[in-house]
Amino acid sequence: MKIKVKMIGPLIYEAGFSEKELELEKSITASQLLSLVKIQERRPKIITRNGKAIALDEELEDGDRIAISPIYSGG
Amino acid sequence: MNGWTGNFLRINLSTKSVKKESFTEKFAKTWIGGRGFALKILWDELKPEIDALDPENKLVIALGPIAGIPAPNTGKTVVAAKSPLTGGYGDGNLGTRVTVELRKAGYDAMIIEGKADSPIYLNIVNDKVEILPANEIWGKGTYDTMDWLYKKYGKAAGILTIGQGGENKVLYAVIRSMEGRSGGRPGIGAVMGSKNLKAIVVKGTKDIPMADPAGMKELGAGDLKKVGEIDKKTGWSIQGTTGVLSWCNEVAALPVRNMRKTSHPDAWKIDGERLNNARVATYGCPNCTMRCGITIHDHEGRESELDYENIGMLGSNLEIFDLPQVGSLNYLCDDYGLDTISAGGVLGFYADAIDRGSVEGDFKFGDAERAKELLRMTAYREGVGDFLAGGTMRMAQKIGRNSMDYAMHVKGLEISAYNCKFIPGMALAFATSPIGAHHKESWVIMFEITQTSRESYGREKAQKVIELQRIRGGIFEFIVACRFPWIELGWDLQHYADYFNKITGMKWTLDDFFKVSDRIYALMKFFWVREFPNWDRTRDYPPKVWFDPSNADKEGPIAGKILEWDKFEELLDSFYEIRGWDKRGIPTKKTALRLGLAKEAAKVEKYTKLD
Repeated sequence: MKIKVKMIGPLIYEAGFSEKELELEKSITASQLLSLVKIQERRPKIITRNGKAIALDEELEDGDRIAISPIYSGG
Repeated sequence: MNGWTGNFLRINLSTKSVKKESFTEKFAKTWIGGRGFALKILWDELKPEIDALDPENKLVIALGPIAGIPAPNTGKTVVAAKSPLTGGYGDGNLGTRVTVELRKAGYDAMIIEGKADSPIYLNIVNDKVEILPANEIWGKGTYDTMDWLYKKYGKAAGILTIGQGGENKVLYAVIRSMEGRSGGRPGIGAVMGSKNLKAIVVKGTKDIPMADPAGMKELGAGDLKKVGEIDKKTGWSIQGTTGVLSWCNEVAALPVRNMRKTSHPDAWKIDGERLNNARVATYGCPNCTMRCGITIHDHEGRESELDYENIGMLGSNLEIFDLPQVGSLNYLCDDYGLDTISAGGVLGFYADAIDRGSVEGDFKFGDAERAKELLRMTAYREGVGDFLAGGTMRMAQKIGRNSMDYAMHVKGLEISAYNCKFIPGMALAFATSPIGAHHKESWVIMFEITQTSRESYGREKAQKVIELQRIRGGIFEFIVACRFPWIELGWDLQHYADYFNKITGMKWTLDDFFKVSDRIYALMKFFWVREFPNWDRTRDYPPKVWFDPSNADKEGPIAGKILEWDKFEELLDSFYEIRGWDKRGIPTKKTALRLGLAKEAAKVEKYTKLD
C-alpha cells in the first residue's frame, strides 16, 4: 500500500524530508510510522490523516495522506 | 513596593504638563500590570462615547511586574486606548526595548493625554521628559523614522513610532518598534497619530525594585539559557510560527480568497520551508532566546520580516502565492505602520465585494502589484484608499447589498488567519475575544481539531476557550511576557508564577492569576457595554458566511460542512454560563461582586441593568 507523508515545521529537519510517498508491504499504525520516519516518540506532536486527527494506535490505509506536526500556540 | 516601580508617567500634550504619579499597592495587586493597568486606567479616566480620535482619548503604554526582567521572553509592552476601529476597548502588545528602558526609567505605565499643536516626539530619560518637534520625521515611514532616531539616540534606546498610516489615522494603524515589531491592531497607532505624536524614545538607568534581585538574576539567566537550549533541540525557530501555514492547509483552516476557501494547492510556495530557505536574517525581542523574526528579501530587494499571520492574510487570503511579493506587501504595511492582518482582511474583502459585483473596482485576487498601490493609497487616504482605511466593517456598511455577511470581522476587528467555517470552538474564540476577532486571546484550534470532535459544540470547547483566555489574554497580557515558550517549547506555566513571586516577594499560585484574568475579562466587557449601552449577544457573533451552507467546502476534510447557528448559540450560552455572564454576554452582578468589581458594576448600571 502507498501513503503520502507530510512533515510540518521543524519535523522536516528531524525526519530529513518535507513530503514523500511511502510504499509499505503491510498496514502499519501511526505510531509505527513515526519510528519509520525517525521522529522521536517522546516529542509532543499531532498526526492527521486526510485532514482529520488520528490516535497513535490507528491503522493507516492505502491512499492516506498523513501530516505530522509539532504543537503550536498560534501565529 | 517590590515588583513595581510604583509610578505612572502622565504627559498631557495639550498643556505640555508632565507628572509622575504614584499608585497604591492595592491597585498593583488588583490589576498586576500590562493589560490590567491599561484597562483600569482607561475605564476610570475616559468619558464614555467620546470619539476615539478626539484628544479626550488616552494612549496608555503599560508594563508588567516581570516585564523587562532578564527571564524568558519578558520583552513585551502593552499599548492601549479606546479603539477607533471597534469603538470598544482596544490593545495590543509588542516586543520592544521600551519594555526594559521604561521600567529602568522608573515607570510601570505611561499615560498620554490631549493633542500636541504640531507634530512632536517624546524623549524620556529617567525623570526628564522632553517634548520635541518631529518636523524632520513626520511624513516618514517607520524604517526611516527608526533610522533617524537611532542615529540621534543610539540603538540601545527604547523607541515606539508610527508610520504614515498612524499619521493619517487609518483605523487599523499600529505602533512599531525595533524595525520588525508591531502592536495595537485595533488602531492604537491612529490614536497616537491623532495626538500628533510621532515617536517615543526612552532610556532608563535605575534599578527595578525586586524582593530578591540576586535570586531572580540567577533564576532568570539560567532559564533564558534553558529555553534557548530547548528551542535548539526542538528546532522551533527554524520556521518560527510559519509551520502553522502548512498545518492549516492540511486541516482545512487556511484563509484563502477572503476566507471563501480553506486550503490551496499552491500554499507550499509561501510556507515555512520556503521562508527558511530564503532567510536573510533572524530577529527577536529583548530577553528572547527563541527568536521568530525571519527576514527575506522582498520583490523589490528590501528586507522584510514575516510570520504566519502576515503570510496567511497578505498571501493565501489574497491568493498571492509568491513569497517575495508577500514580503513586499508585508514591508509596506510595516513601513506605513498598518496592521498586516487587518490590511489582508480589508484587501480580501474588497476583492471579494468586486468579484461578487457589489462594488466597482479594479482589484482582483492574486494581483500583488495593485495590492501594493492600494496599501500606499490607504496609508495616505488617497482615492479609494480613504474607503479602505475605514476597515472591513465600515466598508461593508457603505457597500450594503448583504456584504456584511462576508465581511470577515467581529466587533469591527478583522479576523486573523484561521478560517473557521467549520471549527466551532475557534469561531467561539474569535467571537468572544475582548478586543474583536484576534487569535492572541484563545488559540483553541489545535486542541479542538486534535483532542475533540471537530463537529462537536460541547461545553468542553467553551471551557477550553476560557481556560486559554485566562492564560493567554490574562496572565501573559498582565505580567507581560510572550507566550511562545509555554506551548511551543513546553515551558511550564508555573515558571511565570515563580518569577512573579521572586520579584514581588508574594506567594501567588496560578489560581490567584486566573482570578485577575477573570476580573480583567469582566471589566473589558463592561467597557464595551458602557460604549454600546444597548449591548446584546449579536455583537459576539462571527460573520454569517461561516453559517451559509452554500459556502461549505466542495471537497477535502470538511466537504459539505459548515457551522450551525442553533448549535453555535448553545456553545455561546455555555461560554456565558461558565463565565458567569448573562445571555446578552454581560457579567452578572453576582459575578462582578465575586471579582471585586462592585464599583464598576454600579457605574455600568447607569447604562444598562445588570442581571
